[in-house]
Amino acid sequence: MAATAELIRVESRLFARDPIALFFGLVFPAVLLAALGFLFPGFDEPSPDLDGARYIDVYTPIVLALGLATLGLVTLPPILGTYRQFGILRRLRTTPVHPFRLLGAQLVVHAAVAIGAAALAILVAVVLFDVPIPENPFWFAVSFLLATASVFSIGLLVGAVAGTTVSGQAIGMAIYFPMLFFAGVWIPRSIMPDGLLTLSDLTPLGSAVAAFEASWFGTGPSALSLVVMAVYTLIAGVVAVRVFRWE
Amino acid sequence: MAVIEVIDLVKEYNGEAVVDGVSFGVEEGEIFGIVGPNGAGKTTIVESIEGLRRPDGGSIRVLGLDPISDRYKVTERLGAQLQESRLQDKIRVGEALEVYASFYRNPADWHALLDRLGLAGKERARYSELSGGQKQRLSLALALVGTPEIAVLDELTTGLDPEARRSTWDTIEQIRASGVTVVLVTHFMEEAERLCDRIMVIASGRAVAIDSPAGLVERIGTEQRLRFRPSEPIEDATIAALPDVTEVERSGPQIVVSGTGNVVHAVTALLAQRGVIAENLRIEQVSLEDAYLALTSRDGAPGDAESEGI
Repeated sequence: MAATAELIRVESRLFARDPIALFFGLVFPAVLLAALGFLFPGFDEPSPDLDGARYIDVYTPIVLALGLATLGLVTLPPILGTYRQFGILRRLRTTPVHPFRLLGAQLVVHAAVAIGAAALAILVAVVLFDVPIPENPFWFAVSFLLATASVFSIGLLVGAVAGTTVSGQAIGMAIYFPMLFFAGVWIPRSIMPDGLLTLSDLTPLGSAVAAFEASWFGTGPSALSLVVMAVYTLIAGVVAVRVFRWE
Repeated sequence: MAVIEVIDLVKEYNGEAVVDGVSFGVEEGEIFGIVGPNGAGKTTIVESIEGLRRPDGGSIRVLGLDPISDRYKVTERLGAQLQESRLQDKIRVGEALEVYASFYRNPADWHALLDRLGLAGKERARYSELSGGQKQRLSLALALVGTPEIAVLDELTTGLDPEARRSTWDTIEQIRASGVTVVLVTHFMEEAERLCDRIMVIASGRAVAIDSPAGLVERIGTEQRLRFRPSEPIEDATIAALPDVTEVERSGPQIVVSGTGNVVHAVTALLAQRGVIAENLRIEQVSLEDAYLALTSRDGAPGDAESEGI
């Protein structure tokens, strides 16, 4: 236990010493939401494009999902690639502590940053743009945790196969942008054509945004959204553990 | 008592045996050296001892335990310094030691360890700010922070300048003096000769010799060589006729006389008697490096050793 706590402590310090990861992982979702709200005319007013909903309300869950994807797919895989490339995981294998604990520490640090980033973004949305707080906080929390688990499992899988820092970045990015698209970053889900919406429902970030929206403005997420996220978590997680190379 | 016992170790990569039936034992409290050309299998052997590689044949016992199935127990008692392993650029020296200390049941006082390794005052330095020598000493500190009974050091001094190398040698001697058994993989014969009680010479995956440094030299013979420029001409045949002289060669204006036993005395006496002065006289003896080159090239890898630049 002492070793795990020590690993989490040092890994979180290392994360904090990386200004780029800190900016994009922790504050970018809040900054993006503020920038959208202030810079786009009418972003915080009811829009006929969205059947009278406000863009800021639609984009708040999208930005939360984007924040998760940034941490899980942009920040996490290169760290694992670096740790493999530098022989840090290998070195751990010669100690009584299994390198799984270092991966666990990374996931804990990333999850903590994800929660912090979501809290900051929600704060900006609620305080600056009068976005309501989630109507169903319990289901919102469940959806957020499940979304974090599914995105991080995919990031872990990328990190499991990436031999170096650079390949971790490249593979992560190649998944990141399509996932953002299906999350509705460029075309919000409420105005996606039916076929695209169905596809979006089946992607990790699409189902995450669907679940966030449903617990924010409705009664709770659909079973489909939860199942999709759970399945991604399970499959990516199991495959990641299977294919993980320590060196 | 043997703290490490390796019997008929075989390790294959892609069907090719890189370690091919190596057996040796490391005694408690000794410094055991492993030398050999690049690719001879040295690192594979020590990584098998460390539990990083699963042998394809043979057996390994470290303190009576199997490094793979008793991984946890072995890693508590064996500290490793790996070749080509580094730390996170932004980690501080003190943080790295604190983390590694937390892995072990009886960690050493790492502040004292830093003092001993000449890293005092570097606790707050980031890994990327350290010099090559300091990084190596930190990796040594990490190998020792669990108070191991055995330290396995793989090319600890490679890439260090001569001064840093010599100070590292002192450190290794201190480690042994504190009761730790040391397994040292090295490229430097001077290092092996100075530090090791016994040396295993590896060539093409096989142990070609295991002996003390002096023992290895003796295997090659106790030949001595005199190299000088005679002030007056002197006939080769006259020198060759002396007892103990085995060979006389000319190298430009120089004469090179090889021989055994009292060859030095015999030649200098002859020169004195003839009134010939031996200018630029040098006496060469077989070194461990000569022994190493002879042993490693004899085993089917000729030239390999020379191109190493050991």
